[in-house]
Amino acid sequence: MCRLVVVQADRRPSPQTIRVLGALATDPTRWRYGYDLATEVHLKSGSLYPILVRLADRGLLDTSWEPAIGSRPPRHLYRLSPNGRELVAALTAARVERSERHPQHRWSEA
Amino acid sequence: MPLLFVPMVGLLGILVALYRRDPRRFLDGPTDDAPARLMHWAVGLLSAQRAEWGRAMLGELEHVEGRVRRMRFALGCVGAALMLPPWGRAATAVWALLVLAVGGIALDASTAITYHLDGGTWVAAAVLTVFVAGCLVGASALARRPGVAAQGLLGGLLVAVTWLALGGFTVHDRIRPDVVPWHPWVEAVVVPFVLGAAATAWARDPVVGKRVARLAAITAGLALYVYSTVAVAVIGATGPVEEDGGGTIPGTISDRLGNNLIMLAFTTMVVATVGWGGAAAAGRLLRRTPASPVVSVPFSPSSEANQEA
Repeated sequence: MCRLVVVQADRRPSPQTIRVLGALATDPTRWRYGYDLATEVHLKSGSLYPILVRLADRGLLDTSWEPAIGSRPPRHLYRLSPNGRELVAALTAARVERSERHPQHRWSEA
Repeated sequence: MPLLFVPMVGLLGILVALYRRDPRRFLDGPTDDAPARLMHWAVGLLSAQRAEWGRAMLGELEHVEGRVRRMRFALGCVGAALMLPPWGRAATAVWALLVLAVGGIALDASTAITYHLDGGTWVAAAVLTVFVAGCLVGASALARRPGVAAQGLLGGLLVAVTWLALGGFTVHDRIRPDVVPWHPWVEAVVVPFVLGAAATAWARDPVVGKRVARLAAITAGLALYVYSTVAVAVIGATGPVEEDGGGTIPGTISDRLGNNLIMLAFTTMVVATVGWGGAAAAGRLLRRTPASPVVSVPFSPSSEANQEA
């Protein structure tokens, strides 16, 4: 069971997840809105939210609530957690290493 | 045969008119636009563990401008809410009923294709699809209420198993009339009534009992419909020839499929009505039952001192 969990946690993220991580990593300290993220990485909400849920479940994402303004409900905010930043750093290092070995590989294939 | 559809189409027309007059009668929450209503519906199906994510999606939707963008965002979130594990009881119930419904309609259509049935059968299939879609919407609204989903599903299965058990669990019993006089009383009256009453007693709330009875009715109706459609597909044109079908093979099959549709509507409505009655009756009994007396002991420093002593 523990082995399964470790394997799942170490599984390479999907290209969509990598795009989300990349967008969050451009300014790791800044809190981001879900819709803005979806627009930025060109993902539909149906793809983005499961990714955010999985990242948050694995402790790679910090979440917070923005206070409600007027009659509008509060918004959920996201940014990379320290673990998330480590993962992005590791993915970036792996990408650099691969691109040095195989220059034709793109970042999304890290 | 077309005359049989008139009451159904009429009922649908009444429901549509009622909905257009006052959507709040059918939907929970404020009368938002379609994307917001869709989102409220989907978010209600999320498990308790994912409730915060539901609020996150709803909060984000309120900041999305433009009808098309809002609808796109809402549709994506609905998909996410339906698929996001772990499923809550409500989502599980909706998926289970959806599988039953789609399976039944697909089998109905494939049987119609196999036997080259005429246009009337496809009209019936369209009515069936609309009726089943309405059942699913109703079931999803009921299943999201606390204490309803599991009880409603299990209760519906109990009703369905009772119908099948009294028929002997054979596919032929679904195309032959049940001639035992007391069977309909047990199937359509006693069991649904007891189910509604038991649900009320369990939750100690007649409102919950009525919801359980209605969800059980939809579950039972769909389960029996699927079983009956399987029976028609298995039996085909064998067994007793249906005189209503003109004695031909396509006519016999068409008549049996039509009977299934009528039985779906009949079972659902009867079980819901009788179960609702059972829940209401149990609710009245509960109200009459005096609450357990609470013994109140006036507080005084001396009595406390005596107890400590």
